[in-house]
Order: sequence, then C-alpha cells, then structure tokens
Amino acid sequence: MQSFIDGLIASGVFGGLPAEAIYPAMMFLFASIVVFGFVLPLVTITIWLERRVWSRIQSRVGPNRVGPQGVLQGLADGVKNILKEDVVPDAADRPLFVFAPYLLVWGFLATFVVIPFSSALVIADLNVGILYIVAIVALSAVGVLMAGWASNNKWSLLGGIRSAAQVVSYEIPAGLALLPVVLLTGTLSTQGIIQAQGWAPWDWFLFHSPFTFIAAFAFYISALAETNRTPFDIPEAESELVAGFATEYSGFRFALFFLAEWGSLYVTGAIMAVLFLGGWQIPTGWTNNTVVLNIAQLTVFFLKAYFWVFLAMWIRATLPRIRVDQMMSLCWKYLVPLGFVNLVGTAVWMVIWPEGNTFVPYLMVVGTLALLVIFFRRVLYHLRRAKPELYFNPAI
Amino acid sequence: MSLAGYEFEVQRDDGLATEEMTLNMGPQHPSTHGVLRFVVKADGEIMRTALPDIGYLHRSIEKISEKVGYHGFMPYTDRVDYVSAMQCNQGWAMVCERAAGIEVPRRGEFCRVIACELGRIASHLLSVGTMVMDIGGMTPFTHAIREREKVNNLLEDLCGARLTFNYMRIGGVAWDLPPGYTEQVTAFLDQFEPLIDEYNDLISYNKIYVERLANVAAVSKEEAINYNLVGPNLRGCGFQYDVRRDEPYSIYPELDFEVPVGTGEVGTLGDCFDRYMVRIKELKESCKIVRQCLEMIPDGPVLARVAKKLKPPVGDAHVRVEASRGDMGWYVVSDGSEFPYRTKIRTGSFSAMSIVDKLSRGLMIADLIALIASLDVVAPEVDR
Amino acid sequence: MASSIGQYLKHAKDAAATIFEGMSVTMSHFVRKPYTIQYPDRTAVRVQDTLPLRYRGILEVDLEICTGCLACERACPIDCIVIDAPKDKVTRAMLLSRFDIDIAKCMYCGLCSEVCPTGSIHHTTEFEGADYSLESMIRRFVKDPVLAYKAKKGEETDPLIAPILDRGMEFLAEWAEPVDMKKYKKDQEEAAS
Repeated sequence: MQSFIDGLIASGVFGGLPAEAIYPAMMFLFASIVVFGFVLPLVTITIWLERRVWSRIQSRVGPNRVGPQGVLQGLADGVKNILKEDVVPDAADRPLFVFAPYLLVWGFLATFVVIPFSSALVIADLNVGILYIVAIVALSAVGVLMAGWASNNKWSLLGGIRSAAQVVSYEIPAGLALLPVVLLTGTLSTQGIIQAQGWAPWDWFLFHSPFTFIAAFAFYISALAETNRTPFDIPEAESELVAGFATEYSGFRFALFFLAEWGSLYVTGAIMAVLFLGGWQIPTGWTNNTVVLNIAQLTVFFLKAYFWVFLAMWIRATLPRIRVDQMMSLCWKYLVPLGFVNLVGTAVWMVIWPEGNTFVPYLMVVGTLALLVIFFRRVLYHLRRAKPELYFNPAI
Repeated sequence: MSLAGYEFEVQRDDGLATEEMTLNMGPQHPSTHGVLRFVVKADGEIMRTALPDIGYLHRSIEKISEKVGYHGFMPYTDRVDYVSAMQCNQGWAMVCERAAGIEVPRRGEFCRVIACELGRIASHLLSVGTMVMDIGGMTPFTHAIREREKVNNLLEDLCGARLTFNYMRIGGVAWDLPPGYTEQVTAFLDQFEPLIDEYNDLISYNKIYVERLANVAAVSKEEAINYNLVGPNLRGCGFQYDVRRDEPYSIYPELDFEVPVGTGEVGTLGDCFDRYMVRIKELKESCKIVRQCLEMIPDGPVLARVAKKLKPPVGDAHVRVEASRGDMGWYVVSDGSEFPYRTKIRTGSFSAMSIVDKLSRGLMIADLIALIASLDVVAPEVDR
Repeated sequence: MASSIGQYLKHAKDAAATIFEGMSVTMSHFVRKPYTIQYPDRTAVRVQDTLPLRYRGILEVDLEICTGCLACERACPIDCIVIDAPKDKVTRAMLLSRFDIDIAKCMYCGLCSEVCPTGSIHHTTEFEGADYSLESMIRRFVKDPVLAYKAKKGEETDPLIAPILDRGMEFLAEWAEPVDMKKYKKDQEEAAS
C-alpha cells in the first residue's frame, strides 16, 4: 500500500502537498473504503443470509419483505437501531459503558489491515501479520468484559466474565493451530503464506498433511469460540443469561455489538482461507490484465472465506450450546494437547519430507470427497425417510 | 461432568473474601416457562440454592368452580394446564361423573382418549422442543413446534379451538369426530412417526446435548417418591408407574401400550436426559394408542344426557388422570347444590417445584435451566 | 495413559459422528418446503375460509331466529352475554330490547352456542378482534327492539327467515346429540336380542 501511495506521489497526483499529510489522509480514505464499502454491506448481507439459512433449516420463511427477498433487512434494522433511544442505565459505569462497544468494533476492524483481498489489494502486508491478528482479536475480549462490568447487571457481569475466560483460553489452541502453517512457510506474513500455496486443492495447506488438516479444524473451533458463536455462545446465552453482556445495551451501541459479531465471522473465514485454503491463488497464465486478475482473485478469496461463514451459520442452526465448564475442558483437555501434537507432527513431517509428501495431499483430497459423498447420501436418506414436500427454489 | 456434591463451605487459606451473589431468575426470564421466579444464590457460576417463588400466575381456579357450577367450570379446566388442556377436561368430567353417577357412552370414551393422546403428543412436543431451546439449539424447537401445529390443526378440526379446547362435557364429549377424521389423523401419524427418529438423529444423541444433560440433577427412585414426582419425571427415575396402566380409567385397560421408563443410557439413572428420553418414547406410545383407538372406535352416541343444573348427591369424589405432566388429582365435594362445595386440583408441576431446591445445590446456572426444562414445569399448572 | 487416550478418541469420534449426522439432517431441510404461511397478505385463501365450521371464533347472533329463551345467558360462565327480553304490554309478544356480548370478556368456550335451540348464537371463523377501546369490544346486536322468533310447527315458510334458520341448524348439527343412556342401553339390548 505504501508503494502504491509513493507511486501516486511520484506521478504528481497530489501536486506539492507534503508526504506527511498525504499518508494519514490516504490511510483515512482506505479505512473508510474498507469500513463503508466492504464491512458494513458485508455484515448486513451476512445477517440477512444467516436469517434466511436459519429459516430454511427451521421450515420457516425468514425475512423477505425489505428489498428483493429481504436483502435490505439489515439496513432497515440498522436504521431502526440508530434511531432508537440510547439508554445508559443510571447505575452503570458511564465512560466504560459508552466506550466498550467501540473497543469491540475496533478489535475486529483492525484485523482488516493485514487481511488480503487479492495479490495486490492488501492494506499493509506486515511481516508479523498472523501474530498481529492473534493479538488484535484479543481486544474484543476486553470490550466484552468492559461491557459486562460497566452494565452493573449481574447477568451482564456473568456474560462478561464468561467471555473473558473463553477468549483468553481459546487464544492458546488458536495460536497452536496456526503454528504448523508458520512452520511450513517460515513466515508470518499473510501474503507470504498464500504465495507458499497453490491454486489446486492438493497444494493447499489444508491437505498438506493429516496434521495440518486437523489443525485447520482445531483453529476453526477455536475461532468460533473466540467470536462467541454457537456452540460457544455462552457469553450471551439467551436462555441462561437473558442477553449476556449486551443485556443493558440498546440502540446504536447494541447494533455495534452485532456489527462486531458478524464482522468477525468473516475475519475468521478470511484467516481460514489465508492459512489453509490457498487464499486468492488462482490458475495463472490465462490473462495478463492486472485488474481482471485481481478481480478474479478477490472473488475466489471471498468465496473461500464465505464458505466458512456459511459453515458457521449452518453449525449455529444445528448445535446446542455447551456449558461453561465443558467449554474449558474442551479447550484445555482436548484442543491444547491436539495443538501440540499437530505442531510436533508437522515438524516431524517436515524432517521426513522436506519438500512435502507428493502422494498424501491427493489421498486427502480424495478422502474428503468421499466424506462429502457419504454426507450427501445421509442427506438423501433423511429426505427419503421424512418424505417431505420438496422445494428447491431459494427465493420465497 | 456433574459438580453435584461440591462443598460450598470452602475454607480459603488465603483469607480471600468472596461474596455470594443473589440472582433473580424470573419472573420475566426467557427460560422459566411462564412467570416463575427462582431466587438463585450463586458462587460464581455454581449455585448454592435455587428457591422457586411461585404464585405469579395464580388465578384461584379452584375457587372459581364454587361460583360457576359443574358445567360452567369446564372451560376453566382448560386453563389449569393450558399446554395439555384435554387431560384437565377429562379429569373434571370424570370427577363429576363419579360424583353424580353418570355413565359415558362408549364412543364418547374413545373420542376422549383420542383427543387426550393427541393433546399429550402436542404437550410433549412442546416440552422436548423448549428443552432443546433452553440448551441452546434453535432448530429442533421449530421442528417440534411445526409438528405441534399439525396436531393443533387436528384438534381444531375436532373441537374448534387450538389451545383451550373445552372439548369434553360431563357425560361425554361435545363434538363427534368430524367426517374423514380417521384418515386425517392416520395421515398425520404416518408422517409424524419417522420425524421422531429424525429428531433423535438431529439432537437427542448429539454429543453436546448428551453432555449437557447426562448426570445432571439425577433423582433416585426413593427421592422421587419422597418428593412426590409424578408422570414422566417419576418414570425417568426408572419407576414404572402410570395411572393409565396401574389405576386404569376410561378405556385404557383395553389398549395395548407400554410405559417407557428411564434407563440411564448415557449417565446416571434419573438424570435430565432420562426424563427427556421418556417423553420422546411416550410420543411413540401415544401414536400407538391413537392408532388403536381409531381402529377400535364403535358407532353410537358420544354424549349422555345430563341435567342442565347438575346436582350430585352429597358426598365427595376423587379421580386421577395421567396428564402430560403426570398424575393429576381431581377432588370435588358436593353439598347437593348446583355448585361444588370445594374443588381441589393436584398437579404434577407443583410437586416437581419442591425438588428444584434440593437438586439445584451444586449445579451450575446453565444446569438449572436444563433442570427446569427437564422437569417440564408449566407455570399455570404450578399456581392454578 | 492408554485408557485416557482411548477416551479422548472416543469422545472426539462421538462428537464428530453425531454432529455429522445432525448437520446432514439440517442440510436436508434446505430443500424442504417451509411450513409457515405468510399471514395475512400472502396466503392463497383467506385463513378464515380455511377454518372448520365448528371453529370457535368471535360470537355472532342472528336476531331473526333468536327466541329470547335466555339459555345462552344462563350457560355463560362469565356473564359476558346480557339480554333484555321484556314482554310487550299490549300484544303480550316477547321483545328483544338488548342483546350485548362483551367480546373482551368472552373466552370462546362455546357453552352458549351449544344450548341455543335454533343456532341463533354461534361462533364465526372470524378471529381478528383487536380494537382500540374496551367499549368498542361490546357487540350490541339489537339496534331497535325486535320481536323474538317463535318456532313454528313444521317447516319454516318465511323466505326471509328460512335460509337463516337453515344456517343455524347447520351450526347446531355440528354439536353432539345427547342421549338418554338408560333408554339407549335398553334399545341396544332389545336390538341384540
């Protein structure tokens, strides 16, 4: 990004303005483009899509009135939330109460600094990109804890404490699950990790070895826990804690919690795509046009990231919530040992096959496809057993 | 992993003072199933006690019966337990018939049993659905409610109402089965029974769900009897007792059905999962009963002629019916006038509330939700 | 050590298998038809028209066939029906000067329509009763005092009243006919012998 701005300055677009003024201005401009041009539409569409996915799974219709097929529902909800009265409880710790949602949103928006969109489109290709993400995501825990404490409500407090315990614990298996990939590439830069993979599935780190395959899912589970998604939505468990840390919030601040929750869902998917699915890698050689190439890469990357978002929606519609002590034992007794096994296993794998095994990736791709076939056979079995009225049209 | 038996009087060597937190769960809380209140004393996530505070939904239904007479009280019985109103209807009708010595036509008895068992399916569907929702799964709840709507449609065709049926009368039932009802009900049962298996595939044996319920709040047989648990809660402890079979009424002796009991298949006998599973199994048994009734139902009248101003002879009568929430006792004292002298309704949810305090000790807050859901308490039935 | 690793693997296997199964069930719902309808504006037929005749909606009275017998008023457990039926001083005929039903009180139990001899008071399939004031929930059926209906021997001949009476009888036919059990049993025994 800096080279891009340097190029603009050299070409004289800004006239004689000092570079010290241009850099902050351009940073502000790009941040606004990311937030208003990408994150806000993405979040509203994701919320709408989640509600539609849920409703189909639950034999319901779902939002379909605002705009075509209800796609503008998020916009309507957002406008409504902004127009609502912003209540701050009397007994609340006012500065913290007001500040907490911004901290939460800041924690997830800052990750977009290193998340690439294509080979050229990345705000900053930090050489510690992955470490930066792991660090900055933990800010959301501070935000949630702050919201829970400042509300001066027992339910909120329980939610905040639960969230703090959860995020701090799951940082460890998430970090451990990243390490095999870092070992394989020798870099923490997001672009560097993507460049180390190829466009074909067998070149992805997901299918590099059994250890990276397991690490991918361990990371995904940890990421679900860090973003407070079902089955780890215990900080806001609505049947237990009313609305958890968000109980006392209303209006715009409440909407910010939603923005952060669904936005970080995409961040999770993007990190999965970067680390394990080959990021924006597409077959090369079919075009020389940089713009076309970047648009194709952007599309591929977005689809890969969104697959995990969809999976999270689907999981949320299927699974119940786990209890807080089980959440802890899952983390410390299951995922952390698994993380170490993966780390050591990958290291051993690298010693045996420094260039990577040529056979195992193909085998794993075939195995995954076989698993998918079994899965869809089960789906057909359920359909045959229940004999429902079929309806293939996604629109209602 | 259950934390039952955890000692609270922890002597802290470091002298760190901790504060016990009092939480008011309810009366407006998403998962107290109506307006119930629990005063929870908690040490962090772990509860010391959870004292139920009842009475928010008290409508003095028993007293109303002394003012509206025997026939007029029938619609009020719908409100005793509005989730399974049919069995309450039946209880009142039976106790009045016993007090006044009225005989019910045979077809009327069959209509009653068909309606009651459909009502039981609806009630248990709501119970298992909300149970999953309290544990955090949304989809199974809507699937259960979807099937419950179909039952409600059937009951609407039968008696014109979806919740407060007022279907039965002293001396029989108010409406005969509508034309084509047998085919309608059979079609529903045919599509419903595979869906129970689907429901089990979806959630009942889900690892997370099982872990949440197994070994949580286990009740032993003796405890269950001491605390007067009834119905599925009692059977969940492995005690095979069902009023329909052990103290038979109506046409139940002629029917062939099983009384499912808890087996402790994933944890301790009598835990939340067993109580849940008993209800799932009872769904199938109720389907079986409805099918048999539809086959055996004779022709004839459904309603016996009863005086408009029913005046039972001086004396009292008591009946027990197996409602969805267990053994429901109906007691009426007649002084020979057209109004009951005293009515008493004994409900399963009320006695189930008494064991909450004991079971909740040492559980986590999330487990209290599972416990309340597994006891299947319905606030109007607790308070009446 | 070995047993705890075995337990670890068993738990992981159980979790993976049951979640796999559950997700296949939810996936199969993507191609199932939604069960809910889009009330009230996107239904093929009005919901009210799909309800059975015995549906207990808002009460309605056909004054033309009301006999003024007050059976409904007596049967109502909450006294939401108020009828004034004085005798005309001159003609000695029964007049209906007031027939009010408080819909806000009514609990739709159906006891009133059960006892009506002509099916004059009956439930409709209408259920949308929301209104802005309690006063407007009281349905006043008598505008001007009218003569009570008198049942005739044989067929009803008045062409204005006959269709209303037929409709009332249709409502009545839904209810079960009470039988005298002693007589019924005797008849059954005779038929058997």
